Amino acid sequence: MPMVDTLATSSSTRQKAIVEAQGISKQFGDLEVLTDIDFSLSPSEVVCVIGPSGSGKSTLLRCLAFLEPYDHGSVYIDSQLLGYEDSGGKRVRTSEKRVDEVRAPVGMVFQHFHLWPHRTALENVTEALRLVNGLSRREATAEGMAMLEQVGLADRAGHFPESLSGGQKQRVAIARALAMKPRVMFFDEPTSALDPELIGEVLDVMNKLAADGMTMVVVTHEMGFAAKVADRVIFMDQGRVVESGAPDTLFRQPKSERLQQFLNTWRERHID
Amino acid sequence: MFDIAILWEARELILQGLWNTVWICFLGCLLALSLGLLLAALRLANPQVFGYPVACYVELCRGIPLLILLFLLYYGGPSIGLTLSASVAGVVGIGLYGAGYFAEIYRGGFKSIPKGHVEAARMLGISPFHVLTRIQIPQMARLIVPPSTNQLIILVKESALISIISVNDLTKNATSIVNETFHVIEPYLAVALLYWLIIELIARGGYALEKRLANRQPRPIEPLGDTLHANG
Amino acid sequence: MFEILLNHYPALAEGLIITLVVSLSAIALGLVLGVLLAFGLMSRHRLLAWPCGLYRSFWRGTPILLQLLLVYYLLPEVGIELAPISAAILTLTLNTAAFQSEIFRSGISHIPAGQIEAARMAGISAWQTRKRIIMPQVFRLTLPPLTNEIITILKNSSLISVIAVTELMRVSEQIASRTFQPLETYLAAALLYLAVNLVLARLSAYLERRMVGGLATE
Repeated sequence: MPMVDTLATSSSTRQKAIVEAQGISKQFGDLEVLTDIDFSLSPSEVVCVIGPSGSGKSTLLRCLAFLEPYDHGSVYIDSQLLGYEDSGGKRVRTSEKRVDEVRAPVGMVFQHFHLWPHRTALENVTEALRLVNGLSRREATAEGMAMLEQVGLADRAGHFPESLSGGQKQRVAIARALAMKPRVMFFDEPTSALDPELIGEVLDVMNKLAADGMTMVVVTHEMGFAAKVADRVIFMDQGRVVESGAPDTLFRQPKSERLQQFLNTWRERHID
Repeated sequence: MFDIAILWEARELILQGLWNTVWICFLGCLLALSLGLLLAALRLANPQVFGYPVACYVELCRGIPLLILLFLLYYGGPSIGLTLSASVAGVVGIGLYGAGYFAEIYRGGFKSIPKGHVEAARMLGISPFHVLTRIQIPQMARLIVPPSTNQLIILVKESALISIISVNDLTKNATSIVNETFHVIEPYLAVALLYWLIIELIARGGYALEKRLANRQPRPIEPLGDTLHANG
Repeated sequence: MFEILLNHYPALAEGLIITLVVSLSAIALGLVLGVLLAFGLMSRHRLLAWPCGLYRSFWRGTPILLQLLLVYYLLPEVGIELAPISAAILTLTLNTAAFQSEIFRSGISHIPAGQIEAARMAGISAWQTRKRIIMPQVFRLTLPPLTNEIITILKNSSLISVIAVTELMRVSEQIASRTFQPLETYLAAALLYLAVNLVLARLSAYLERRMVGGLATE
């Protein structure tokens, strides 16, 4: 890989990053939603990304996963450039197949679950095991049941998504991602679409994952979760990283005015 | 008074009409369904090249009466060396006309699958081809059944127009019986009933298919083999 | 094709006007009948709802050409002499009323029950509720399907040529048989139908945009 050379200087000084972004930016039409973002994620690290809506935090995660192609900069997963390659000095998009290869260590969970409605909970989990990993039906079923067990939903295996609660759907979605044995999990506002009483069951699963040493990036509004579980919190506003650091420092001694404001608004809303 | 004897005497004409209506509708609808699929696939695969031409084709089907299309094919065709028998003109006319509507139905179904379903699959490494065949098409199938059934019914009813270009279909033969017997109600009502029967069959079929595709009752999980249990 | 349009435009224009008159009269008459039918369909009285349902099934479930022939041949049998154009308008009206009733029924059922409850709780009579609360909203909700129905009726009006109404289709047939240029003539007619329908579709889209703010507040 010729790309590795460009990366060597930046990451050799630290523990080797699983996911690394250098100076990425993204525009939707005339609107610049991400501006020159640097980001690095070490193994077993849990990073929470917070910020007001429209701050670009979800777009950042989607760019790290190449669900949105970033315009400038580079995203590396395991030191491999994601989404682009060098072709005669020019940067061109790689094939979808290459994207899949580079992205293989990443699992993703979405705000709106995106379970496939025509598949049962178990089939949602086993689909990729069969299509991508080539497991037999029996192997995939065994593996899928184990995954559902892990999120406490083995008894719902034969149900279609429409008969599951929001919390159950999100747990199935987590099991679906975990089945592919990812080394990093991306969570894009995993509890934002849930009724308040269902948030806990999803956060419990995520807590357990973090405790088991899973590397995670979590875009979230759950400050409690961020304070408790994150190794590092990133505060974004208007497409830029405004502040980042350990949750204790960030929440207790916010340096920037914008973060202070953000935290105040949040406290006002959650005081009662 | 309803004179059923008239119908019995004219049974051969009625059956001939039924047969002609059925096979012309069947082939016409088949052509419409496949050509519509082709148009929709082209448009979705390459919107830059095919988007505008297909959209224009759809507008043509929506804006021009089927009768004009049939006349163009049957009476206008010979001036450009295209001589079709009335029945073939009927099949082609119904096919070309329906294709525009089906292209729109397919496209609508495809577009209404949430983008996130595709993203979730892609993040798991499922290839674009499998995303299409395992995630998008199965979901689309369920969405397009009701409007497609509806469109098929419309086409069967519109097929009565082929009688005007002299195909001996149900409508034409009913009119022949009316002219011969001077009884109006019996032949037309009998034929109306037959149309209704065909339509009812299509509606039932569509409904059954929709039910089958939409069956989302919890399913039992197949028990795992002993070998796997032994391994844990 | 353009030659035909140029040489025969008076006849074609007359035909087009007849087409428009027949279609639009049928749509307007069908609207009145359709609204009444819609309330009939939703009535709690079986004796009212059932015949309305039967009516709807017949007119929606059989080919319009067959309906036209039935009306045209049947009326004289029962002693009613109607000019072909009147028979045509009658058939199209009876047909579109059935389709429009279904459009309105569906539109009405999309209005939240709470609005009707609120009106009734405010002491507004059932009839006034229909007139002042339900119908203004229904016309906005039903504009797109109603436009489709108008276009369908315009297209279907071509088949009244079989009972010798000299509308656009019939005029085209006459021109085609005189000029021996069927392809060009029918293409010209197709162009006219297409133009009218495209204008209608654009007009409806424009109205829909206008009505979004307008009618809700009145």
